[in-house]
Amino acid sequence: MTPAEIEAYVDASAAALGLKLRSDHRPGVLRYFALAAEFAAAVEAVPLSERDEPALRFAPVPPRESEQ
Amino acid sequence: MSASGLLRQDASAMADAVRGNAVSAVALVQASLDRIEATDRRVNAFTAVLRERALRRAAQVDASLASAHGPRTRELPLLGVPFAVKNLFDIAGLTTLAGSKIEREHQPPRDDAALVRRLESAGAVLVGALNMDEYAYGFTTENSHVGPCHNPHDLARIAGGSSGGSGAAVAAGQVPLTLGSDTNGSIRVPSSLCGVFGLKPTFGRLPRTGSFPFVSSLDHLGPFARSARDLALAYDAMQGPEGRGPHDPGCAQRAVEPVGAALRLGAQGLRIGVLGGYFRQHAQPEALTAVDAVAQALGASRTVDLPLVEAGRAAAFLITNSEGAALHLPDLRRRAQDFEPLSRDRFLAGALLPAAWVARAQRVRRLYAEQVARVFERFDILLAAATPSAATPIGAEFFEINGHRLPVRPNMGLLTQPISCIGLPVCAVPVWGAHPDLPIGVQVIAAPWREDLVLRVASALESAGVVHAPVAPLA
Repeated sequence: MTPAEIEAYVDASAAALGLKLRSDHRPGVLRYFALAAEFAAAVEAVPLSERDEPALRFAPVPPRESEQ
Repeated sequence: MSASGLLRQDASAMADAVRGNAVSAVALVQASLDRIEATDRRVNAFTAVLRERALRRAAQVDASLASAHGPRTRELPLLGVPFAVKNLFDIAGLTTLAGSKIEREHQPPRDDAALVRRLESAGAVLVGALNMDEYAYGFTTENSHVGPCHNPHDLARIAGGSSGGSGAAVAAGQVPLTLGSDTNGSIRVPSSLCGVFGLKPTFGRLPRTGSFPFVSSLDHLGPFARSARDLALAYDAMQGPEGRGPHDPGCAQRAVEPVGAALRLGAQGLRIGVLGGYFRQHAQPEALTAVDAVAQALGASRTVDLPLVEAGRAAAFLITNSEGAALHLPDLRRRAQDFEPLSRDRFLAGALLPAAWVARAQRVRRLYAEQVARVFERFDILLAAATPSAATPIGAEFFEINGHRLPVRPNMGLLTQPISCIGLPVCAVPVWGAHPDLPIGVQVIAAPWREDLVLRVASALESAGVVHAPVAPLA
């Protein structure tokens, strides 16, 4: 992402989430978002197939009676 | 030996002394409280000292020893041992701060965290709560709300984080045993910088019930101590499935698999490799010297690269940043100015990460774990430095690693983050002599659920005099 794209995305997504960025917080937020974007590029670069599963599994929660 | 002399020994020696009536639990706990009183203005490891509760509990231990229950009490593994916990563990009647200002407004919990209860059931005595990075998001414990935790071996330097108080309290000889949490390195980094032993068990091994979460899909809990046998003692006391009542959904609820008796097996016969590539490129000379010293002592000469390690670290960063921020979104919306200034902007950015990045990170994490599992078909143990450098000065913004100038605060954990990302058990062991004045840790890493192997190797290294955890003089 270019710096301009990051600024546009950060401002738009913050507004969508109802997160008001103060002027003294915004430069740090842009810097850390840019860092996250670098890490996202590293993750994007790994070839995955549609069958590569995520690391986390959901564990269904049985009602208490069936635990006994 | 006097109680204050015993306090310089490890927890196993203290429990033996109480068991043999050489010292009372009250005298031992009082010695711990005195040491905290004498040193903590300089170290700032504690955020709360539970004098009354600790002395009452110690008196109960002594009374039980003198009663008809004496023989059974005498068998408790941590008899009369004072310990303390990072202030994200619930302590009945004390607000759980998780290093923050915001949580000060909340009601204190009614119950202790599951692991606090388990250690006290094993005879240990809780004496206090410990300093940490706010909401565990940091590697330095430069907590702006209560002040930085100082490294007992050089008070001008950081203790590491986020469980900085947990590492410092053990190194300062205030208590022989502490608990911390590790999401990306928060047990192993302070262990390394404070020169103590730390165990990050397999993800899902120990229940997190009653602790303040940071990133549920990555959070681990574990002990710090001054010997491998103490880690084993505490770890064995904390294992096992949860009974009735609240459960940690991230806990595998495995049966107890005790490691204490396995320590004497040593490292003989284990296939040990040294992590190369990423792990050597991101380390200063003292870190490489420490790993090489440990490898040489173990006769390990084979170097191995972890496949996908950089992508794994990236995945851990994204999952942490997004999940951690989402947890605090209501407060980030309402009162961002009340967050720790050193991590606030990182939290705010994390709240904005696209879902696609995080979903992909969880899939890359899985693929990375599968590829590393194949490495463990050829090796039982892998070695790597725990931190890229020894402790940096408090307030330092940057350090240089292999010619690159990097910010200290997000990067002190860059060697631990790829390992916890896939939940492997690690014992951080303290090496002296690799740096002129300071300790630095080495990660002893095994396949999932093989805590026995990492503790066997740690114990063997300790017996050989390669690693040790002296109490800082703090004269």
